[in-house]
Amino acid sequence: MNDVIIAILRSGTPLVYVTLAGVIAQRAGVWNLGLEGLMNIGACATILGIMLTQSYAAAILIAIAMCVIASVLLWFVIEKLKANPIIAGLGLTGLGIGGTALAVESIFGSQATVTAPFGAPKLGAAFGAYGVLSIFVAAMPFVVFALWLLLKRSRFGLQLSASGEHPFAARGVGIQPVRMRLIALSIGGILCAIGGAELATRSLQFFSPGKTSRRGFMAFAAGLFGGAHPIRATAAAFFFAIAGALGIRAQLMFGDKVPHDLLQALPYLATVFGVWLSGKLGGAKTAGSFGELKDQ
Amino acid sequence: MSIHSPPALACRDVTVRYGDVTALSDVSVAFEPGLIHAVVGQNGAGKTTFARVASGLVQPTNGAVEIAGQVIRTGHVRESRAAGVELVHQSFALPPSFTVAEAMEFGAPGRGGLYSRKGLAEKWRAHLAGLDIQVDFSKRIRDLPVETQQSIEIARALITDAKVLILDEPTAVLSPAGIEMLFARVRRLKQRGVTVILILHKIREVLGIADTITVLRGGRRVEGPVSAADISADRLATLIVGDAVKGQNPGDRDALVGNGGTHADVPSGHQRYASLAPALVLSAVSTVPDSEGAPLDKVSPSIRPGEIVGIAGVEGNGQKTLVRAIADLAGLSAGTIALGGEDITRKSLAARRAAGLRIIPFERNIEGLSLTSSLWENWSARELLQGPLLRLVNPARIRALCDGSLKRWGVHYHTSAQRAGSLSGGNAQKVILAREIDADAKLIIAAQPTRGLDIGATAFVWESLRAARDKGAAILLISSDLDELFDISDRVVVMLSGRVAGAFAAPYDIQSVGAAMTGAGAAATGAQR
Amino acid sequence: MRDRAIAILRSLIFVAFSLILCAVVFQFAGYNAPQMLTAVVDGAFLRPGAVEQSLRWALPLFITAVGVGISFRAGFFNIGAQGQFYVGAIAAAFAAEALRGGPAFIVIPLIFLAGMTGGALWALWPGLLKLRSGTDEVIPALRGNFLAGLLLVYVTSGPLKDPSGSGQQVSSRPLDAAYRISNSLGLSPTIIGIAIVVGILMWVLVNRTSFGVLASLAGRNGTMVRWQGAKLWQLGLSSFVISGALAGLAGTIEFMGPNGRIASGFLPTHGFTAILIALVANLSVVGTAAVAIFFGGLASAALYLPIMAGLPAAAIDIINAAIALFITARTHVEKFLRLGRRSS
Repeated sequence: MNDVIIAILRSGTPLVYVTLAGVIAQRAGVWNLGLEGLMNIGACATILGIMLTQSYAAAILIAIAMCVIASVLLWFVIEKLKANPIIAGLGLTGLGIGGTALAVESIFGSQATVTAPFGAPKLGAAFGAYGVLSIFVAAMPFVVFALWLLLKRSRFGLQLSASGEHPFAARGVGIQPVRMRLIALSIGGILCAIGGAELATRSLQFFSPGKTSRRGFMAFAAGLFGGAHPIRATAAAFFFAIAGALGIRAQLMFGDKVPHDLLQALPYLATVFGVWLSGKLGGAKTAGSFGELKDQ
Repeated sequence: MSIHSPPALACRDVTVRYGDVTALSDVSVAFEPGLIHAVVGQNGAGKTTFARVASGLVQPTNGAVEIAGQVIRTGHVRESRAAGVELVHQSFALPPSFTVAEAMEFGAPGRGGLYSRKGLAEKWRAHLAGLDIQVDFSKRIRDLPVETQQSIEIARALITDAKVLILDEPTAVLSPAGIEMLFARVRRLKQRGVTVILILHKIREVLGIADTITVLRGGRRVEGPVSAADISADRLATLIVGDAVKGQNPGDRDALVGNGGTHADVPSGHQRYASLAPALVLSAVSTVPDSEGAPLDKVSPSIRPGEIVGIAGVEGNGQKTLVRAIADLAGLSAGTIALGGEDITRKSLAARRAAGLRIIPFERNIEGLSLTSSLWENWSARELLQGPLLRLVNPARIRALCDGSLKRWGVHYHTSAQRAGSLSGGNAQKVILAREIDADAKLIIAAQPTRGLDIGATAFVWESLRAARDKGAAILLISSDLDELFDISDRVVVMLSGRVAGAFAAPYDIQSVGAAMTGAGAAATGAQR
Repeated sequence: MRDRAIAILRSLIFVAFSLILCAVVFQFAGYNAPQMLTAVVDGAFLRPGAVEQSLRWALPLFITAVGVGISFRAGFFNIGAQGQFYVGAIAAAFAAEALRGGPAFIVIPLIFLAGMTGGALWALWPGLLKLRSGTDEVIPALRGNFLAGLLLVYVTSGPLKDPSGSGQQVSSRPLDAAYRISNSLGLSPTIIGIAIVVGILMWVLVNRTSFGVLASLAGRNGTMVRWQGAKLWQLGLSSFVISGALAGLAGTIEFMGPNGRIASGFLPTHGFTAILIALVANLSVVGTAAVAIFFGGLASAALYLPIMAGLPAAAIDIINAAIALFITARTHVEKFLRLGRRSS
């Protein structure tokens, strides 16, 4: 039983961090499809950072810095250049995936897997079986709670929602929606960096190009499914993580009897269903159709 | 009102330019503290721009703003609010999904901390109670009636102990009773020492509430602030209108500036067509409730060719649903609709249009035009939809036909390839008229056709509707402007909560029509839930 | 006319921004940016045989991109082109299997029909979802892409598996030589002819029919067109389905032409590249042709880069991504250059 919980926490935590990044962005009015790219950048930067500085803390900081820079670039393109957020987000994702692949190839000469000498600090023996989990897993519930407080129980959260839902009303009371989106995307960048770091260093510590394998999009869907509510979105993220874990288990159990790739589709089928369901329940909050930013 | 205290709000040489359009030009004005000031002018005169400059929402191209004698930084809402100026917008600026408590909290100045749902409601209850507003705190803004939404907006504006409160066109969506309640509240505010600036465009309202009057026209200040006692309604009318409209009949002129009382002479041409079948008959029509408006409940209006029927009522009482039902955009749960004697209940909108239905929709820019498309595309949409979709067309020929039509209707434009969004409100509306009013129009629905238009364009629309009526069309006019309704309609029908609440013939009495709008006899108070 | 020219200029300016960003990324990753970019141009047009190669890639891209453009114009954002491309190829492969042995002049058109129908049906699902429940069509379409990819894997390792295939790449049985429409180089009169016919027909549809005018209006303001009496499905959904059919056609061409078979995971970026082309070309049919050649050149360079210049192919992905990042920008950069009239 412990094994199952540990597996779920391990696979769910990176997804949760990135989902929260998507949720903040959504509340501010931006559909952030750059999450996949950001997660990749976070993962790659962490591993390369460890190899470069031999310090996990420094590596995390590098990852955070890179993700925030990328997020600010996205913000600039969407807000100042008024690009379409969905295409721009997909472009950022492409840059993230391609850029990390390029970096790996440039440093190591080929698109191989890069292994770092050590990984994230673990909780340690004091926690028994759960000692193998990293500190980010332990931090995760606090982060979710903190974000819930910020978004749903603070004036800042209301101002953020207003910026996404009714920018004119926000401006009328002196809020600057453009600045709000910058803050939202930057915080999102930090969260994606941590999510990527956790993904790369949770048990084994390695990075290979495309490592995130669409988790960024799952996180985005979880955010939609959760109606931009941090706790519901976290639940959705775990739902998808469990579906993924079940898929792997089913693979192991049923082996050749079921085409393994169809089992791989389980989490993605879950997201299609989830998004359809959330659409029925009046999901996708605050962003307009095709993710366009609302005009005044 | 000591002559030694500085003006509560003053503007010096304020100019606002957007590209080649000048919204305000060298406007200088000073408002004395503790009074109720009215800023008047027709649509397009620059009143809203003025209000937004004064409150920091719009950065002027030139000029300065002073609050209580201190020059403040323009274009920064935070600073204006800190100096004590608050603006209540014409179309409400409250996020629809917020609860009442959240709507108060998000606009509160300063950092603010964490709160609990209950604590938030408690925190704001006292503030609203102090303003005599009773409302369920857990309700969301979008579920509240229009008058309550406005009260909440005013309450939000008063959180900061505002010294100057600017209300931009607050009467546009209110019933006569609602307007009275608003004015009562404004007078109470004056007693508390708040300087109130009201942006209005109806003379009748202005004379009922203002201590001083300032008139804007064409982006300039043409008079004032003068004491309301020192200026006559006629002079006001002349100042507002300028020479925008010459040779208007007095009834129209009064209606244009909101100076009307009752209207005795309403010329009507329907006698000529009295023998023809009714143009539109609704029989016990009820609609399926949906998210877009109050459902209809067994309404049975009918219109004959050659008459204009006006639909009065506070917005949100089913007028839009009525239009949507006729346009097959709302589902019927009961009843039938007949157009020109033919049952169209089962027919699609395209078929109804082919049978002579024409619509000038409520939202010009959303329902009437595609702003980023060209004029000729917008203009030709109706005709193109009458034919098969795969028909080959020649854009050059369409453009030529469009040019001819637009010129006939007096639209000011450069080329039919320019975007519809580049036209002024009045010209854009003319494009819609050019498209909708043709020889085959049997029933024309005109929904808020003059909203936002200046006097010249408004008069033009009225002329066009009358001309269509004289040629035998039936016109269904929906408007929240009672002066307009009374001036043009042959009959007025009042809608309330999806039902017909009253039918009136000329001469119209604003008291009885107003009473029907809010529920005959029921005293509507600000304490409405 | 002038607006058109300005729009094209704007596109070019943003492509330039993208290339600058790419140069920065390349330098940062340790490569010599000018060398990289020169290699790309070499691979695209300058070395012998490059032009033919670029055309080979450009033609199927052009067909899909024209479809995507039509759909975008009507307001249905066809992000699912990749999935429709795959399903079209799969349907064509099944049809080829089923009809094997028949006369070429009957079988070939039927295979095309199957491919286009496959693509059209794959577009129907997200389109109907949008119409029925108002769900945004983007997410289901993205998922549809992934599912199509899985379907391709399944089909090539199951029902259509090539019995003589090696372990390396999983692919289907090769198409009978009689039914091939080009050799493995991929350029043939048939393919060129199909592209030209598609181009002309779609140009006429967009610019000279009621459908074209009304769909364009619907794309910019669906509400207004509804109030005129149009049914959204007539204009938007039809455009979406046409787009799917064209993507399916492109998939069929790849199957019957240069590839001769369908392989698991072949051409995974075709759809997204086609979307980029449509966006850069600002949704005009003629522009799409020109831009398709540009991106065809990029694809040709992608093959050349690692082999001849020792540079990673990921560089091309980065160029694509950077273009995507900037290309939908709507600020009127030209006003910074003091050209044109400022609009809204």
